[in-house]
Amino acid sequence: MDIKILLLILVPLALAFSIPLVDLINAKLRRFFVLVGILLESYLLIKIITENYTSLIDGDFFLQYHLGGWHPPYGINLVMDSLSLLFVSIVTLSLFLIVIYSIGYVGHHEGKYYVLYFLIAAAAQGVLLTGDMFNLYVFIEMLTITSGALIGFKRSHPASEAAIKYLIYNIIAGLFIFMGVLLIYFNLGTLNMAEISNNFSLLEDGVKLFISSLFITAVLIKMGIFPFLFWLPKSYDTAPSPVTAVLSGVLSKVYLYIFIRLVWTVIGIDTLTAYKLDILILDIALFSSFLGHVFALQSNNVKRLLGYSSIGHIGMILAVIMLNTEAGFYGGILHIISHMFMKAGLFVALGYLLQYTATHHYDDFQGVGIRDTKVFVAFIILTLSMIGMPPLLGFASKWYILMAFLEARSYFGAFIVIFGSLTAVIYYLRYIAKGLEEVKLYKGELRMEIFSRPLISVLYREKIVSFITYSYTAIIIVFGIAFRLLDMPLNMAIKSIFDIEKYIHLVLGG
Amino acid sequence: MHKNFKNITAVVVFILMGIAFYENFQLMPAYKGLGEGVSDYIIRSGLSETGSLNLITAVLYDYRAFDSLGESTVIFGAVSGIVLILSRKMLPVSSRGLSFIVKRTLGIITPFIALFSIYVITHGHLTPGGGFQGGVIFAAISIIFSIVYGSAFDYRRYSPQMKTAFETVGALTFLGLGIAGIFMEGYFLHNLGFLTAETGTLISAGSIPYINMGVGLKVGAGLAIIFYSMIQKTFKEEI
Repeated sequence: MDIKILLLILVPLALAFSIPLVDLINAKLRRFFVLVGILLESYLLIKIITENYTSLIDGDFFLQYHLGGWHPPYGINLVMDSLSLLFVSIVTLSLFLIVIYSIGYVGHHEGKYYVLYFLIAAAAQGVLLTGDMFNLYVFIEMLTITSGALIGFKRSHPASEAAIKYLIYNIIAGLFIFMGVLLIYFNLGTLNMAEISNNFSLLEDGVKLFISSLFITAVLIKMGIFPFLFWLPKSYDTAPSPVTAVLSGVLSKVYLYIFIRLVWTVIGIDTLTAYKLDILILDIALFSSFLGHVFALQSNNVKRLLGYSSIGHIGMILAVIMLNTEAGFYGGILHIISHMFMKAGLFVALGYLLQYTATHHYDDFQGVGIRDTKVFVAFIILTLSMIGMPPLLGFASKWYILMAFLEARSYFGAFIVIFGSLTAVIYYLRYIAKGLEEVKLYKGELRMEIFSRPLISVLYREKIVSFITYSYTAIIIVFGIAFRLLDMPLNMAIKSIFDIEKYIHLVLGG
Repeated sequence: MHKNFKNITAVVVFILMGIAFYENFQLMPAYKGLGEGVSDYIIRSGLSETGSLNLITAVLYDYRAFDSLGESTVIFGAVSGIVLILSRKMLPVSSRGLSFIVKRTLGIITPFIALFSIYVITHGHLTPGGGFQGGVIFAAISIIFSIVYGSAFDYRRYSPQMKTAFETVGALTFLGLGIAGIFMEGYFLHNLGFLTAETGTLISAGSIPYINMGVGLKVGAGLAIIFYSMIQKTFKEEI
């Protein structure tokens, strides 16, 4: 019984509800409210960690909250174990950095932007904390609707097109999850995750297969794995930079959490291995990773390139998780953390670097590095981490993934890791070289240049924006040197993934 | 050729999916009735525990009230998104409305529509209906105004700011009742005990009617805002 885990959801929700009211009173108060909200959220999280520090060390960390006082089978419960705590921490840190970036970046329609942003924050925390299937569906729907609206934030023709495409794909995925939830309730008469996981093996074979394939298809669509990846690059390209950072830094990781929660806790990995589904997913994920890197090679648009590279990385993470070994989870979750900060940092840096260019095209990248040298250095460090250079966090995570693949004797997977790094060298170096190229302009051309390039993003607090870029780089460097600091939380999370009986016992008995 | 190929592939995929779903739904066991699980418990003790005659409302706003909070937040998010994408700072294009006969008739009928929506919202715990349904009827008034009297009429009577304020107040009512539950009963969204009265009367069932009102305001104002931003004339914006 800990009210704080409920407040983690309620604080952003209340903030999102009250921002329109604050807007009506005085729009200048809004920024203050936003800061207070995100600080309160971080305070709650730090309080949870410090209060339960001893139980975290002992490995029996577990908090839950019964909404409305109804006990698990009848009401909704919120559950926080070590796995969700790890994800909540990194998601909150990401959201914190991106909201400060947004204060400097977003110039128009700020009110609606923050409403949608904090709804995403609330929904992401809700998804990470809930212990109830229907509640999970509700929060997933909330994530889809709000992020879809933010993709169309620029209100141009391609932005609306990308938003509609995103919504079509993701709402179909949501319908699959809904159908799965309905079938579970029809067959088992309960919606509580612990109770479902207790009784799931009693179902008939065909029903089990149908329900698990519905859930898995839905989450694969949402993550952008091979047959369903075509919505992703477009929406990454057209959305404004902080939104893209949320999409790749928060949403795709949240969906990976849902995948782990559904497959290991609710359905049970044994069900998947019985139907050989795990090998299928492993191969699909590796193929998707391969395709992502190949598409990234031929892409001439820098944000689209990062989208394709995200497909590559998420496919790799999914594959290494599907190995179902401790080493696999160690590498996978470490790479979730490192990819979250690397990719969001890259998008954040691009938002700064591309502020004066008309498009995100390769040719427009010329001379970008000379204009803002410091941020471009940060950009180079982040790309080096994506490639997997030794002192940075990307190296550590890729190393553990490679080791996990070799240990499981999945040589195709090991090949994909190396292949991804090698192609990344090619496609990032190309952009770095272009960025350092000098732009030679004559006086007449210079005037043409200035007038022909519309100011797309309204960047009016440059210091904040570049500061956030540096802090992403600092996170990557510090944790790259001291990635052993993440050893303890990772091991705890892995322990709670595999210990399903304890989860069931604590939810239903506690 | 290329387009045809795309269409044919789509049709084939849909047919295959249809067959797959048909085959799999054949496997489902027969309906066993409500004799077990959560639904049985709610049917047996829902009335005594929540005081709501309408058991669906009892589930929506008491047992699983957090889901309803989430669902109404989805509507809130959709409204914000649609306003964000569609809104232009232009005066609405107003038609002159329909003929005199229609205007007079609706002038007489509109109060009754409002009364009906209020009835549906406030009697959510006694008869079928509730906040979501009543809110939709409420939003219909705004739509009727725009069509029959021209959209400028609706704009002048009930400005978008006022609708936004209504929506926010509705959302905050829901949240506030939930937080009141923490202080008075110890749980978020717990039914407030001091509001209960004799079952079957209008003011009974604890905080359920008040949550219904909050949801009704939120849904009604939200749908009106969606309709309003969709009828505005859109201009090509210069960046």
